Amino acid sequence: MISETIAQRVLQAALSTGGDFAEIYCEDSESTRLAMTDGRVENASYSRSRGVGIRVLCGFRSAYAYTADVTESALLATAKAAAAGLRQEQAGNTALGFRAVCYANREETLFSPVTNDMRVKLLKEMYAGAKQFSGEITQVECGYSDKIQRVTVVNSNGLWASTVRPYTRIMVTAVASAGGETQTGTRSPGFGRGFDVYESVMTNELGVEAAKTAVTMLHAPECPASLVPVVIDGGFGGVIFHEACGHSLEATQVAKGNSEFCGKMGQQIAASCVTAVDDGTIDGEWGSLRGMDDEGTPTQKNILIEKGILKSYLVDMAGARRMDHPLTGSSRRQDYSFAPTSRMTNTYIAPGSDDAEEMLRTMGEGLYAKQLGGGSVNPMTGEFNFAVAEGYWVRDGKIVTPVRGATLIGKGGQTLMRIDRVGDRMWMAQGVCGSQSGGVPVNVGQPRIRVSEMTVGGKGEKL
Amino acid sequence: MEYERFRQELFRAALNEGCSAAETFKQEGESFSVSILEQEIDSYSVSRAFGVGLRVQLGGKNGYAYTEVLEEPETLVQKAMDNARSIENTDDHPMQTACDYSDITPLQDPLSSLSEEEKIGLAMEMERLVLAHGEPVLKCAGSVVETGRQTVSIHNTLGLAAEETRGYSMLLAEPVVKRGDEVRNSYAFRCADTDIRGLTAEAVEKAVGKLGAEAVAPGKYRILLQNEAAITLLQAFSPMFSADMAQKGLSLLAGKEGQVIASSIVSVADNPFEAGMPRAFDAEGTPSEKTALVECGILKSLLHNLKTAKKAGCKSTSNGGRGSAASPVDVSPSNLYILPGECPAASLMEQLGNGLVITSLAGAHAGVNRVSGDFSLLASGYLVENGSIARPVDQITVAGSFLKLMSGVIGVGDDLRFGFPGSSRFGSPSLLVESLMVAGK
Repeated sequence: MISETIAQRVLQAALSTGGDFAEIYCEDSESTRLAMTDGRVENASYSRSRGVGIRVLCGFRSAYAYTADVTESALLATAKAAAAGLRQEQAGNTALGFRAVCYANREETLFSPVTNDMRVKLLKEMYAGAKQFSGEITQVECGYSDKIQRVTVVNSNGLWASTVRPYTRIMVTAVASAGGETQTGTRSPGFGRGFDVYESVMTNELGVEAAKTAVTMLHAPECPASLVPVVIDGGFGGVIFHEACGHSLEATQVAKGNSEFCGKMGQQIAASCVTAVDDGTIDGEWGSLRGMDDEGTPTQKNILIEKGILKSYLVDMAGARRMDHPLTGSSRRQDYSFAPTSRMTNTYIAPGSDDAEEMLRTMGEGLYAKQLGGGSVNPMTGEFNFAVAEGYWVRDGKIVTPVRGATLIGKGGQTLMRIDRVGDRMWMAQGVCGSQSGGVPVNVGQPRIRVSEMTVGGKGEKL
Repeated sequence: MEYERFRQELFRAALNEGCSAAETFKQEGESFSVSILEQEIDSYSVSRAFGVGLRVQLGGKNGYAYTEVLEEPETLVQKAMDNARSIENTDDHPMQTACDYSDITPLQDPLSSLSEEEKIGLAMEMERLVLAHGEPVLKCAGSVVETGRQTVSIHNTLGLAAEETRGYSMLLAEPVVKRGDEVRNSYAFRCADTDIRGLTAEAVEKAVGKLGAEAVAPGKYRILLQNEAAITLLQAFSPMFSADMAQKGLSLLAGKEGQVIASSIVSVADNPFEAGMPRAFDAEGTPSEKTALVECGILKSLLHNLKTAKKAGCKSTSNGGRGSAASPVDVSPSNLYILPGECPAASLMEQLGNGLVITSLAGAHAGVNRVSGDFSLLASGYLVENGSIARPVDQITVAGSFLKLMSGVIGVGDDLRFGFPGSSRFGSPSLLVESLMVAGK
């Protein structure tokens, strides 16, 4: 998209007001989305997005400008607009030559040879699985998306790095209704791979699982409001760590002193059974970055918490300027319209040594949260919340009934210290995390864990 | 390639290839944003965005393709036609024809005439005002000024030509307060308004008001939902008013037109002319119209675009929406709000007597079920005893069902306020409701 000569000129223009670092982020992405309602394709759309974001740093100051016009004159104007943001007048230095690094070298079927018929087939299989599960399934919504993101990052340190990131995801939501009541169940796996990944995805089974959740919740009483032990299953259950801790470890918060975990490096912030990892290198995962982050820094496996002790934050270039901390390959952005910042990739609580059945058996009365919905957090205070999509009430260590409408709330630091069991089998699930630099694909994960006490919201009477 | 020529080529290629109609939806905009920290520019961003969405009609089906690159119009047409061929839904989705539009009058925006320097100065002044409050204010985590302009142009081969430029501006401050080890934060914002004294005073008051907050015992409480909390809930459940959701069996309001769905003191409207964020036409080019959704508790209408209206045998309510130029046409609100009542906030507090004032709700993207109408959300606010504030409250959840809540409204404040502007905007006054289930300590 951009030649070496133009890149030189653009970086020069970006540094013309005294910036000490300038960066060009070029993106060219293509995506296709389909939506199906009631077994029939309802919408299909294709989009191509191409543009450039130019960033200039000067000490703690940062200026960003982006444009969809990639002609040389537009790029120079954009660079000057960013430079003007520094409000200074003296030229900085730029690199004379670039070291090229290319991370896109994998052989696979991406999306250009994929036809809509192939995509629709996946939707139909999910639909059939859900619809045929029960007569109480009154509606099924399915979705498909794929995206190929081509990224090149050039900066004034002489870096010229590029990668190609494929993404694809399918979604099925089953709606169960009876007697004027309605409940839903959803499954939505995603992958950082080409279309061939679907050879090993049981699409029909996803529909069945979504329908099973919906029908189970349809016949469940409302969850009672309570303060009880909670067992949270693996997979999307890992959203608890994402919200309760992950966001508060991002330089976005920590660098400016806006996190409850500021200044806690080397200290205990979680129970000693907790080890947590953020790893953008895992092959083919939804949250992986194909070799480099959106500043061109190589991705790496970051141990965030080891046996309860804080070992690392997630740090991008701007964050590193305020913190005494190396880069962690964690800088991300939704697209060229966002300046990058530190974000999570594939984040999980590592497998522990506890028995998954024992932790239920010995919990007394409480909630078993089998499927979680999304959540959110205020990183400044650590106050988080998330929804339980499929929950069960436990008494005397035995499941007595499914319960609907539960919410879990708490404060991050407190909750991490209250984890008293970590199971020995970890798995992950997919989500889209929204924050300062837009929506980015992330994996969350954990083994089944237990929290000794949490506030459970719901509108039910005591069971 | 110039845009006009690109558009003509798209239309020609589409009609040549057998499409019965084609439409372009172009968005072009510029934005400015600055955030100040410790009287320095912490982040600064300017942009020029451009994109064009093509919709073709082929054999009665719509197909979409979007691009930011004005090259190879034939390829884009082929992509859109491929997508149209995949559509199995048989509902007719007509395109709008040539229309006349009424003039709209946006609020006079005092930020529109400011230079960049003046906007940066305003953000710095906001931070100084926050810090000037002194203890317990620790810092201002963000002091932001944003402005932007966007031009939307819709053209189609049936003669539609609609173009409009819409501007916006926003100021936001986020104070952080600290007492002992306890840290709290909050924010306040203003749109098209430079009242930074009012803004910063409100933001600081909200943050300070949280100091010392604790949970309450679980149980049923009478609740005063302050306007901002009511907005969160209304926004989360607004898809219930979409005829598209209703026709798919995903809204509890399906088939309820003419029936009582809320307390008789509740009225809800969708008003595209509302001065804070007005528009002359919707994303299908249908001229704007104000729609009464609920009048004195009775459901009068749902929100329609051309497709849902055709299916229901009524007129579009000018609520065709597109999340962006890259998204297909859907149904979305313009300015959707609960109409204000006559109760001053103080009298609602007296009427509350003993109960909870909920000032904010969090987690609405996950803790609400738009289909079942149920919600369970993280809440904070105040405990009220005998009509006056006893202490701040946090770490509780409130749970209920949206329609039961609307039926249980016993007081409507006179303090209508709107939330963040986006492709839609939501507003509500404070609402006094009979009871909600609360979880706490």
